[in-house]
Amino acid sequence: MTYPDPDDAAPQATPGVRPFLQSGPQHSTGGYTPTGEHPPVETSTNALRPFVITSGRTDGGDPDIGMETQVTVVPGAPPSRLSPETRAIVSLCEESPISVAEISARLRLHLGVTRILVGDLRATGQLDVHVLDNDTPDPETIMRVIRGLRSIS
Amino acid sequence: MDFDQSANRVVGTARIPGAPAPKKAPVPVKIIVAGGFGVGKTTTVGAISEISPLTTEAEMTSESVGIDDPGQATMKTGTTVAMDFGVLTIDQTLKLYIFGTPGQTRFAFMWDDLVKGALGALVVVDTNRIDDCYPAVDYFERAGLPFVVGINTFNGQMNYSVDEVRWALAVREDVPVVSFDARFRASVRDALLVVLDQALDKAIRMKTP
Repeated sequence: MTYPDPDDAAPQATPGVRPFLQSGPQHSTGGYTPTGEHPPVETSTNALRPFVITSGRTDGGDPDIGMETQVTVVPGAPPSRLSPETRAIVSLCEESPISVAEISARLRLHLGVTRILVGDLRATGQLDVHVLDNDTPDPETIMRVIRGLRSIS
Repeated sequence: MDFDQSANRVVGTARIPGAPAPKKAPVPVKIIVAGGFGVGKTTTVGAISEISPLTTEAEMTSESVGIDDPGQATMKTGTTVAMDFGVLTIDQTLKLYIFGTPGQTRFAFMWDDLVKGALGALVVVDTNRIDDCYPAVDYFERAGLPFVVGINTFNGQMNYSVDEVRWALAVREDVPVVSFDARFRASVRDALLVVLDQALDKAIRMKTP
């Protein structure tokens, strides 16, 4: 393993300080690559400091909100001032129930960011988040999945 | 048992009287597809999903040594990984999500998140690089999640037999090792059915102490 030269102009960011902000295109090495190659090109449109959208919150995600958790709009929710990202989330959920992972993928929003914003929208009464009461799958449900899978060809 | 009524707890309660009833959200279940880089996880997900696989980026905090991205990942504490996933609608009230996850590194935090509530996992193995799947096998064994080892037979090619792979992995007797072809829907379906069979066994065991 090669460590950056301490005299390097772009030293590695200090671990522990705003760790989620290290994930931008520059990565933690500040663009420094030991081999002299170019850092990989980021394709995501939101690669730069994604948690700026959440005002820097990185741990506000409700642990109950999973990637597959279904989200729907609250019908007739009072209008409220929304950021472009949260407005996009609400309008995605209007069509039909949608999972947190799908929201993240379709809006190209970081999963962690999506979780925080969905939590915010739940708190303000814009979205219903359908959290499962029971984490452990029951035999009944598994049987239904088995029957459903068997029926596809 | 009236599962549909009991399974969903609507957390937000703001309702306006007379507003149209919201569309009922289906119950989501998930299966994890894990394995090393390039073993065919995304192909597996794509073969069974009714939509083309979507990608989400997630932040992983780990002490990992990356294989996908050596040199960059090895020194970081925060890593962004891409996760592919697909959906299969079982019926209007039940949706199966299949998450393909970078399993060749020890992203402990992501695993915990992912495994919570999962039915089970399919660990995809390429016989050319069997050891790539060790972290996934280790994790699922420790987490007690039902899993199946699925040997991806690219073009019907297998360098080792099912028994040899089982020997190399040293998995418990009750962990199925199957071969399948990630490119074919029916083959992926059958592999997932083995996973579900394991999941059902466990769910029944949990219910009858």
